[in-house]
Amino acid sequence: MEFIRNYFEFWRDRYPSILEYAVQHLIMSALSLVIGILVTIPLAILLTRLKRNFLKSLVFNIANVFQTVPTIAMLALMIPILGIGMKPAVTAMFLYSLLPLLRNTYAGIQSIDSGIVDAAKGMGYNSFQSLIKVELPLAMPYIMSGIRVTSVYIISWVTMAAVIGAGGLGGLIISGIGFNDKNLIFTGTLLAIVLAVATDLLFARFEKSRNRTRRKTI
Amino acid sequence: MELLTELMQYIMNNQSELLALTVEHILLVIYGVVLAFIVGVPLAILAVKIPRLAPVILSVANILQNVPSLAMLAILMLYFGLGNTAVIIGLFFYSLLPIIRNTYVGLQEVSGSLLDAGKGVGMNSFQLLTKVQIPLSLPFIVAGLRVAAVIAVGVASIAPYIGGGGLGKEIVSGIAQRSDIKILAGAIPAALLAILADYLLGFVEKYTKKRTA
Amino acid sequence: MKKLTLLCTSLLLLVVLTACGGKDKETAAGGTFFEMGTQDYTDPKIIAYMVKELVEDQTDHEVNVTENIQASPLIITAMDKGDFDLATLYSGEVYNNHFDDDQVEYTTDPDKTLEQAQKLFDEKFNLKWFDSLGFENKYTIAITEDLAKKKNIETMTDLGKYAKDLTIGTDSAWIERGDDGYRAFQEHYDYSFKKANGLEISLMYEGLKLRELDAITAYSVDPEIKELNLRVLEDDKGFFPPSTASLVAREDTLKDYPELEEIINSLTDQINEEEMTQMIYEVDIEKQEPKDVAKKFLIEKGLLK
Repeated sequence: MEFIRNYFEFWRDRYPSILEYAVQHLIMSALSLVIGILVTIPLAILLTRLKRNFLKSLVFNIANVFQTVPTIAMLALMIPILGIGMKPAVTAMFLYSLLPLLRNTYAGIQSIDSGIVDAAKGMGYNSFQSLIKVELPLAMPYIMSGIRVTSVYIISWVTMAAVIGAGGLGGLIISGIGFNDKNLIFTGTLLAIVLAVATDLLFARFEKSRNRTRRKTI
Repeated sequence: MELLTELMQYIMNNQSELLALTVEHILLVIYGVVLAFIVGVPLAILAVKIPRLAPVILSVANILQNVPSLAMLAILMLYFGLGNTAVIIGLFFYSLLPIIRNTYVGLQEVSGSLLDAGKGVGMNSFQLLTKVQIPLSLPFIVAGLRVAAVIAVGVASIAPYIGGGGLGKEIVSGIAQRSDIKILAGAIPAALLAILADYLLGFVEKYTKKRTA
Repeated sequence: MKKLTLLCTSLLLLVVLTACGGKDKETAAGGTFFEMGTQDYTDPKIIAYMVKELVEDQTDHEVNVTENIQASPLIITAMDKGDFDLATLYSGEVYNNHFDDDQVEYTTDPDKTLEQAQKLFDEKFNLKWFDSLGFENKYTIAITEDLAKKKNIETMTDLGKYAKDLTIGTDSAWIERGDDGYRAFQEHYDYSFKKANGLEISLMYEGLKLRELDAITAYSVDPEIKELNLRVLEDDKGFFPPSTASLVAREDTLKDYPELEEIINSLTDQINEEEMTQMIYEVDIEKQEPKDVAKKFLIEKGLLK
């Protein structure tokens, strides 16, 4: 009981700053995800249009290499180039998001039956119209599941960004370790888990509702 | 360019130490992932056999997966003390979800007609599991191991913060001493390890797929 | 299937066997290994290698140094558990949430702070907190000389006039610390910065250089203060607590190996701030190894041949 009362008091004292850490966390995650999506979707489309396999595998390999660099090293290596704070943190997260986003979008467009694309052409769609009206909507489930997986990853990885001054829930955790305060560690951890799980559920629901509406229209 | 020659020189001068750290890093990852394999596969089987347990097992693994790595290690240190033990337990927790989820999906993928065929030949449910379901879901299990290993290589890099070893030692002391050379000397082998794990297990995955197809 | 079972059992065996292995318990000369932990900044590392040199020179024992532990409370936890025998800690640690509020009395008096640390850590963690090594390494606030001249800032009170436009870089813990942290600072000096940016200690100076930070909570012995031409502001309202460096050891270890106590005492009051700053300079900026810098110092002082 004592413990719960203490923890309650802890929140009462600190909720404005806890909220701030959480908001920073969300902003960084959302920003890197959005940039990632804006870059990877056109890139993936371009790759599906490419005839040369060499270029394709080059792009995928580069994205894969980014994925393998340990987070802490990636963040540290950003500093000479981009300084400290949110800029290098968001850039690092963006680089991490490339592979899962790229892979899913690419797979989504590739999975479309070529007969459907031909049919679209037959209806007089040009290549751009066919992309917007036929291919992208059909690839959407893949793209969405890529975004879902990536966003959960990013939310978890962003905690390391506190090491280079970007704030976020990692700041709460590192403060807690340094100030010997288990409430801080626990709160940072709990909120990071809640954010990740909530994001996952949100996207899952979104996917489900999309599927339902689509089935109705068919 | 200058950075590159300096880096080469540093690596040459410290090669035996770097090699030892690399080996330690590999061992940390292997222990964590193998432990998760030993615990995760039975849990996945349990989840398939008792569907009511499935959401519980998967959610717990999912929550563990989402614990930020620094917090995970700091908390584990309180219980397991300083050093590699706590790190290995942390890697074990992070590896559980990919292994359990993949095994679970793999076991469920084995289609009903095959199971019926097995039952038809007079197999009991244990024989069905060991002779039909597990062999057929091997590619999925290996795919889970692959994801787990790549994640573990990355997470192991912060082990020094709680007294663990591995290539993170170079990275973390590089950060502390503001030496990009040191950071790179730790990060490059770590990245190569992740690529290697990805490639090797990808190869095994393909091989098992071919055998089960 | 047989292959799989075989694989599983052999892996299991591997894990079990290596887990049982454990490390050597005895040195070649028949002594024991002492475990010493250091934080991720430079002064404790240098001191750890001094202790290592002295112990290995004067006894059959050896010292294993584990560097870069993320924060001092983790080191204290590890000592409490028996994973570390030795560490270098700062008397200000006594205000770092280890004790209940009614046990510690917050003061900026150096002697009283050290006394409290010695008494309380012994009572609660059974740790012997030795007398000061001779130098202090406390939080201060530093800004660039340019800014100081332009706005004529000499004290922390002066800084207050401009603080609302300035970003301060600090280690993450300071933002949340109690009596000597940012919250208390805001009350004590009655102003806040535009933003307080928590980050890895070694990166604060990087942030200043890149002009992304305007002020930092520097440590008083940091050589970068001179190197980057920074001005340390006078703590005119006496906010920051003193923090003298001491070696700390487990009482249990000292009981078993009393010779260790003698060696630690031989370092008491041997290193002043200037000497420590110079050594950190050699490690952080000239990129020498802490081990070599420590050895050189001991030889110069005549503590080691």
